[in-house]
Amino acid sequence: MAINKLIATEFLRDRAVLAISPLLLLGAWTWACHAGLFPEQILVSPQRVYEAGVELWDSGELAMHLEKSLSRLAIGFSIGALVGLAFGVAMGLSKRVEALCGPSFNAIRQVPTIAFIPMLILIFGVEETFKIVVVAKAAFFPIALATLDAVKGVPKQYFEVARVYRLSTAQLVRRIILPATVPPVLTGFRISLGRSWMVLVAAELLAADSGIGQMMEMGRQMFRIDVVMVGVVITGLVGFVLDRGFRSLETRLVRWKLP
Amino acid sequence: MQLKKFGLSFVQSLAWGIAAMVAGIAQHAAAADLPKEVRIATVAYATGGKVGYNGNAGVIEQQGWLRQELQKQGINLVWVPVAAQTVGATINEGFANKSIDFAGYGDLPSIILNGGGVETRVVVPGGAGNNVYVLVPPNSTAKSIVDLKGKRIALHRGRPWEITFSRLLAANGLKLSDFKISNLNPAAGAAALAAGNVDAFVTLSDAYTLEDKKVGKILWSTKQAGQEWKMRAELWGDKSFIERYPQVTQIIATAYIKAQYWTSQESNFEGFVKIAEASGQPAAVIRREYQTDAVSWKQRWSPLFDAFVLDHYRTAIAYSRQGNLIRRDLDAASLFDPRFVNAALKELKLENYWTARGLNSAGTS
Amino acid sequence: MKNLLKALPRAQGLQGLWLPLLVLALWEFTSRQSAAYAYAFVPLLDIWHSLLGLLVSGELLTNLLATMRTAMVGLVIGGSLGLLVGGLMGVSRTVDKLIGPLYHAVRQVPLLGWIPLIGLWFGNGLLSKVLIVSLAAFYPMVLNTYEGVRNVEKRFIEVAQVLKFSRWQLFTRVQLPGALPSVITGVMHALAFSWISTVGSELLFGSGPGLGGLMQTAQAASKMDVVLVAVASIGVIGLIINVGFTRISRHLLRWRHAH
Repeated sequence: MAINKLIATEFLRDRAVLAISPLLLLGAWTWACHAGLFPEQILVSPQRVYEAGVELWDSGELAMHLEKSLSRLAIGFSIGALVGLAFGVAMGLSKRVEALCGPSFNAIRQVPTIAFIPMLILIFGVEETFKIVVVAKAAFFPIALATLDAVKGVPKQYFEVARVYRLSTAQLVRRIILPATVPPVLTGFRISLGRSWMVLVAAELLAADSGIGQMMEMGRQMFRIDVVMVGVVITGLVGFVLDRGFRSLETRLVRWKLP
Repeated sequence: MQLKKFGLSFVQSLAWGIAAMVAGIAQHAAAADLPKEVRIATVAYATGGKVGYNGNAGVIEQQGWLRQELQKQGINLVWVPVAAQTVGATINEGFANKSIDFAGYGDLPSIILNGGGVETRVVVPGGAGNNVYVLVPPNSTAKSIVDLKGKRIALHRGRPWEITFSRLLAANGLKLSDFKISNLNPAAGAAALAAGNVDAFVTLSDAYTLEDKKVGKILWSTKQAGQEWKMRAELWGDKSFIERYPQVTQIIATAYIKAQYWTSQESNFEGFVKIAEASGQPAAVIRREYQTDAVSWKQRWSPLFDAFVLDHYRTAIAYSRQGNLIRRDLDAASLFDPRFVNAALKELKLENYWTARGLNSAGTS
Repeated sequence: MKNLLKALPRAQGLQGLWLPLLVLALWEFTSRQSAAYAYAFVPLLDIWHSLLGLLVSGELLTNLLATMRTAMVGLVIGGSLGLLVGGLMGVSRTVDKLIGPLYHAVRQVPLLGWIPLIGLWFGNGLLSKVLIVSLAAFYPMVLNTYEGVRNVEKRFIEVAQVLKFSRWQLFTRVQLPGALPSVITGVMHALAFSWISTVGSELLFGSGPGLGGLMQTAQAASKMDVVLVAVASIGVIGLIINVGFTRISRHLLRWRHAH
């Protein structure tokens, strides 16, 4: 009994220590506002941010913006991920595909997705298509790359086994390649999800009529810095949740993989 | 005995030290009567590696008078360039974090700023400036704003043209909520129009460029309407700066009046067009913006604090309050500081050059 | 289809040209469709003229150098700070527990989401851009330095303990060199992120010289040709930086492969 209590307190204390620095920051922030170190329009107090957040939630605005952003992320990411997977597998398996597409792939990879935004605005306008294309592009490259590396890393013996068993390409992919490459590809998914989220917020900041990024930009135009901060907090939270979610998915899958 | 001598000399040196400190502080305080530099924010354009300033700022730089006058007092004139896409937000932030002292920008953003608790004052009204245009796609069948009810319109919120647009809606019995508003900056709005994402786009004279490129046609503009329809921009100043350095503010106000006087003369129109070309807009577009207008060229540059300006701001504040763009009431008259304009007009002997406007919509008094 | 692919010229490397050529042809075709299309799909000849014009006027070079300068300054500041913090966190568990959670929480906020706030607090000039770029370089440096220090093989640390190394000696003689490969990976990531975030912050701050600013102005003036030239330049420079740095790091780490 006593030992359980000891473990429990240790556990709680560890968790508590984790909260020290964020709490310190919050404390310093509140104190700085009270002390009036900066004009209240520059450094809005945590309380104001909280109130603005509640106000936005109550009016349904926050939920609407969040839903818009997340749906764009989901659609764009799915498209980009699927195409990236297919591309990665194709380039990894076929030397000819790699020779044909490789150079263009590497060339376009060099250009940060953000740099494509002005060009995409001019081509696609500022509707949903543009944002989904941007997210898809951001998702495509890390996943394609990770898949390519993973496929290339599959030991040659696996391919020989497939040849011996006369597996078709589809069977080869499904039965051998996919399981062998899941962990690194999953990591690729996680990284690209983070990047896609960041790029989406940037695209919404520049040209959108709804979404979290737009909410922040509108807040800026209306000189409502508390709204801007709500946006900052929300984007951080979403990024955090997505990242953690994927990480736990990875650990669970790895556990399944190892006998 | 030794101790006493030591003590005495110690007190002596202490006294000298304190005296020197006090003298130093006094001198520093005296020198702090004037700022080292004056920072004026203005819309600027970077074309071909050079920076060009718009409107009044461009004229003032060309005249050189302000720079010289300030230099005489050891003050450096610094123009703070602002990108045209985000003028309102950028300048508001500049005033809030005290990185600028003056700014030439529009009515709605400055109302939003004061409504948010940062205090600025109008030092020189900028005259009834630019026209506002509503563009539709080239193949649109809309004949007036009423035909666009329920459609999607690209309108950058919190910018001066929102006031004009709301006036148009009110005149036709419509409200902002009758439309789907896309809050896009002018560049994105133009792209949206070209791609057919929106059914209308509200903007300034770049409307002509878009018309020439055949990506839109002008449905309505303020060209033939009364003066109160045009977008307004003034010289705003940080309230604490004005109170602390009224003499410097006076010099700046006089410079702006000089600039507006120069521009208002028909003979200087071509010179003005040349300065405006720094914005990257072709001279042809600039001419179309300023010519054949319902308001006379001279009256367009009137810096008077007349009933006309007061009414404009009263209406704008009421609109902002009603649309919940600001969360407290503002008194329009309290935003004005007419001392400097009056003094400048007297000094330059221009008291009777411009006529004060009443509330007559024809733009005459 | 397979036969068609077989029939394509097999010349090494030249195969990669087919895709870009196809895209260029499609582009030119689309630009001739109508005026509205030509708005976004600028004819190839116009693009060529723009490129020449920008090169001759020196505008391309000026903006390029400005972007490089911002990226370098941000990289140096963020990178060195990241090295310091990451190293400290790796070496001392206390520091890790204190700063770690805060670092991970703040890291989640997409960099560009900070822009409205930084714009308000620090204005729209070079300072704000450098701040963002430093932050971009900071994150990967901390992560990689931390992991590098932590993963220094236990046997090396044991040897140091046997030899009774002081804390400082342990750090400089064992942990630092052992962490070097990770640190270099960190620098590579930081390099890439600095470049990307410089372009991104220039786009979003929209003022001042730089390739991002050039793109933004061009997009506002609907000059797709200039936008494309800027995009290509960004890609080319990014490629040069990446390739150059990979070569250097391979050279520096050659001693690793010795044993």
